[in-house]
Amino acid sequence: MRDRKLLSSFLRENAVTVMFVLLCALCLALSGLAPSHVMFELFGRLSRNAFLVLALIIPIVAGMGINFAITIGAMAAQISLLWVLEWRIPGTLGFVVAALMTVPIAGFFGFLIGKLLNKMKGQEMIGSMILGYFANGLYQLLFLFIFGNLIPLSNPSLVIKGSVGVANTMDLSLEGGLKYALDGLWRLPFKQALYVFMAVIAVYCVVRFAFSSERDVKRLAVCLAFPVAACLLIQIPALQALFVTVNVPMATFGLVALLCLFNVVIMRTRLGQQFRAVGQSGAVANASGINVNRVRIIAIMISTVLAGWGQLIFVQNMGSLQTYGAHEQVGLYAGAAILVGGASIVRATNAQALLGCILFHLLFIVAPDAGKNVFGNAAIGEYFRVFISYGVIAVALVIHAWSGAQRRKPANAIREAAK
Amino acid sequence: MLKMSISQRIAVVVIAVITVLFVGTGVYGLSVRNGAAGVSVIRDLRLQSILNTAGAGSVEAYVAAAKAEATARVRAEGGGMSEIREASALAEEEARASFHFEPVDLSTVDTADLEVAVNELVAAQRDYYEAESAAQALYIEEHEEEFRAAAAAQVAADSEEEVEVVDMVIDLSGFVATEEMVALQAVVDERFVALKASLMTIFPDLTDDVLDTLKPTLLALTYASGDTFETQYDRYVAAAGTAHQGGFQYFVMRNGGNLLTISVGLFILTLLVLFYQTLVRKLGLPRLIIGMFFVLLCLLAVLYGLSLPSLLGNTIVRLGMNSVLVLAMLPGIQCGISLNLGLPLGIIGGLLGGLLCIEWGFSGWPGFLFAIAVGLVISSILGYLYALLLNRLKGNEMAVTTYVGYSIVSLMCIGWLILPFQSPELKWPLGDGLRVTLGLQSSYRHLLNDFLSFELFGITIPTGLLLFMALCCLLMWLFMRSKTGIAMSAVGNNPRFAEATGINVDKMRIIGTTLSTMLGAVGIIVYSQSYGFMQLYQAPRQLGFVAASAILIGGASTSRARISHVIIGTFLFQGVLTLGMPVANVLVPQSTISETLRILISNGIILYALTKSGGASRA
Repeated sequence: MRDRKLLSSFLRENAVTVMFVLLCALCLALSGLAPSHVMFELFGRLSRNAFLVLALIIPIVAGMGINFAITIGAMAAQISLLWVLEWRIPGTLGFVVAALMTVPIAGFFGFLIGKLLNKMKGQEMIGSMILGYFANGLYQLLFLFIFGNLIPLSNPSLVIKGSVGVANTMDLSLEGGLKYALDGLWRLPFKQALYVFMAVIAVYCVVRFAFSSERDVKRLAVCLAFPVAACLLIQIPALQALFVTVNVPMATFGLVALLCLFNVVIMRTRLGQQFRAVGQSGAVANASGINVNRVRIIAIMISTVLAGWGQLIFVQNMGSLQTYGAHEQVGLYAGAAILVGGASIVRATNAQALLGCILFHLLFIVAPDAGKNVFGNAAIGEYFRVFISYGVIAVALVIHAWSGAQRRKPANAIREAAK
Repeated sequence: MLKMSISQRIAVVVIAVITVLFVGTGVYGLSVRNGAAGVSVIRDLRLQSILNTAGAGSVEAYVAAAKAEATARVRAEGGGMSEIREASALAEEEARASFHFEPVDLSTVDTADLEVAVNELVAAQRDYYEAESAAQALYIEEHEEEFRAAAAAQVAADSEEEVEVVDMVIDLSGFVATEEMVALQAVVDERFVALKASLMTIFPDLTDDVLDTLKPTLLALTYASGDTFETQYDRYVAAAGTAHQGGFQYFVMRNGGNLLTISVGLFILTLLVLFYQTLVRKLGLPRLIIGMFFVLLCLLAVLYGLSLPSLLGNTIVRLGMNSVLVLAMLPGIQCGISLNLGLPLGIIGGLLGGLLCIEWGFSGWPGFLFAIAVGLVISSILGYLYALLLNRLKGNEMAVTTYVGYSIVSLMCIGWLILPFQSPELKWPLGDGLRVTLGLQSSYRHLLNDFLSFELFGITIPTGLLLFMALCCLLMWLFMRSKTGIAMSAVGNNPRFAEATGINVDKMRIIGTTLSTMLGAVGIIVYSQSYGFMQLYQAPRQLGFVAASAILIGGASTSRARISHVIIGTFLFQGVLTLGMPVANVLVPQSTISETLRILISNGIILYALTKSGGASRA
């Protein structure tokens, strides 16, 4: 009886994730793609997108819902990228310069976003989404009529003769470009990469054990068992075959890991506590002396800067950049991904973000082929995945609002009984 | 009386003084221009430019003669090709050096003959162009259907990109000159011969051949269709050289009209500064800004010589075309679901209605009514379900409605691909699914637009469309004053209070949402009959936003709206868009700045409304 209750509550709480796992499995089976090819694609997409999805966590914790305005962080990254290309700073140095330039620009934008969102508390999600659209207009103004016209650009590949503004595509794979500036630093085959990451995790566990006051041996054993098990599992030839084509960009995944760590660590600081307090109840936080508006602005600023870096990682992996389109869907896809992983608009963890990223992009890889095999039309699969991105967000919002309403109901009943 | 700060007073006085100066100079310029002085200025400039062109031609004639002479001489001496070339180049150089062309001074030449010849030529040309434009208008009228079909084909080819209203693709390649035109052309030629004769008396060097080669240039100089003082002045100054621009008086004459236009703008600015506080209080800042922007665009259109009446005519058409979609926002706002960004739900219903109408071959009024009826049925069912959903998530409607709208649009993208429609008008000739853009010429295109339409000051008034808009607004107005309507507004204003007074909040929200969705269906049918095309796939996605921003520009908030907001807002928003595009294209040619403008205005106004909605209190 109790087990069944547990199961049903698990299903209810993770309905979106469970549904998505089933959907992915179904599409994977229907697509007829080779698993090793899917893995190859998946790791490529993970290295591009994981950072962006992780950038959403802090605003969710701070009670601002999904920050669809991370598109603006992506725009900041593209502005700095334009100048790095203009100055012709090549390779990794160029990437670092772009990343450093992104910080003040995205930080400033984040500050403005935060200011605005503070004026529309309770409507942050729709607000940040519309703000993203609005900023896209400003971005077009900047790239079409200011850069290349009022502020001349000397790099001929950035402007098209006889047309206005910056070129439609910025090619990073040319000499002096940024393609693979980060990914290319250190690549390892999957097996070695797994060993490295598992070793890092094991060391981390041991160090934490050494410094913690509790000396919880059982927990240490569980923590160590996971990397060991992973290293043992990869010895199975079938699994090895699955990952044989995967070449892991260590620096990129290293940064993703660092960001996960950052998300954990910041929650332990005073600021992190304030995020949480504000997220739970603005009124209570205010009463306890926290400057709610300031905390919210900081959350958005961090998220925007991280999103800018995420976009840089995305772009260096892609090797080219659609000047007027690359940022548009960033918020949508990242938002949908984190919700797929089981996050809600008030609660999100690293694990949910990563799981969501995997599931969401798995569906992206397999949906067109599944559509082609079932309906004989690849376009159906394309539309289907767009539908899924929007639909997931809609469903997550509905479920959230619904459970909120249900939670309020018992409280109301008690209140009425008290009367 | 009026509270004004010192700086405001100073600004008013300064702007008023400048306005008076502009009006003064402008009126002076226009009066001088329309008097004898204006005529003589144009006459002098015209003669001067003709003389200059002919004079330059005479240099060419002299050079050609010198070259021919040199060539003949060398050939007679038995020189080879290279020597001939050398000698000819030398001769040209010498000729140009010796016969240096000096612009002719009008006062030193007797121009009486020339003037008569030119005036007669201009008169003949005017007759010819009038005949030509009349004949062409007739031709276009006769071949209207073909042109519209060509436009339909073009729009279909442009696929997903949002295309502006292309009504006709005018192709005059089949146009043949009428007899009248040929006769008039003969008159023009005859008069040109007279002109040649009088020019040759002034420049003895000129030959018939040279003048014949100069004929197109000279004819283009003397007359262009639709000539005004400004165009003639600009053309002649360009031909006569900058030295003939003249002083301040000429400038005032040339720019008299522009000065008056600017002074109108300055006058409005004066009023704006004068009544700033009152206006902001009455209209709200965003409406004031966008209203002023609209006025600015109108003035710019006049300054740049664009046809303001036809632009305003387009605005009126687009007002009628979008009004029902915007009206759909009203019940949503009033019943408390704030902006119904899930409007695509209703739009899908309307599109299905239109598709069924074409599929089953209805046309004209029955087709239109059938499409509306089917649209209403489908959208009422969808709207009811949608309302049930929204009732479970009070306070979070905006974000949910947006994403529900988006998901339904992308779901229907799959739907358009697999729905079993059969009509060849709807399906791609090859491959699966429905076309992206469907022409409505066989069903109900421009049905309302053309109903009782008439011309007024050069604007075609789409009477039927405006009547339909008025009908919808009237019905809505009556509904809002009914018992249900009042109860619904109470729910939107203050749900707790409404509940306390015994109003069934959920029921009212269902009525409002369903009504809004149904109006969305009617709205898209009206929109597409005016546009001439139905757009499927991604096209309905943004329409909810366009409608929402229009009603907000009209002065609505996220919880209160009136019918006047719908009409004012649609007019301003569509007006800014229609005027913005041609004006922007003059300022920055070949640009998409008007699209950028739309994004900024549309989303900016929604953001503004959100900051004013004080979201926290609704949660």
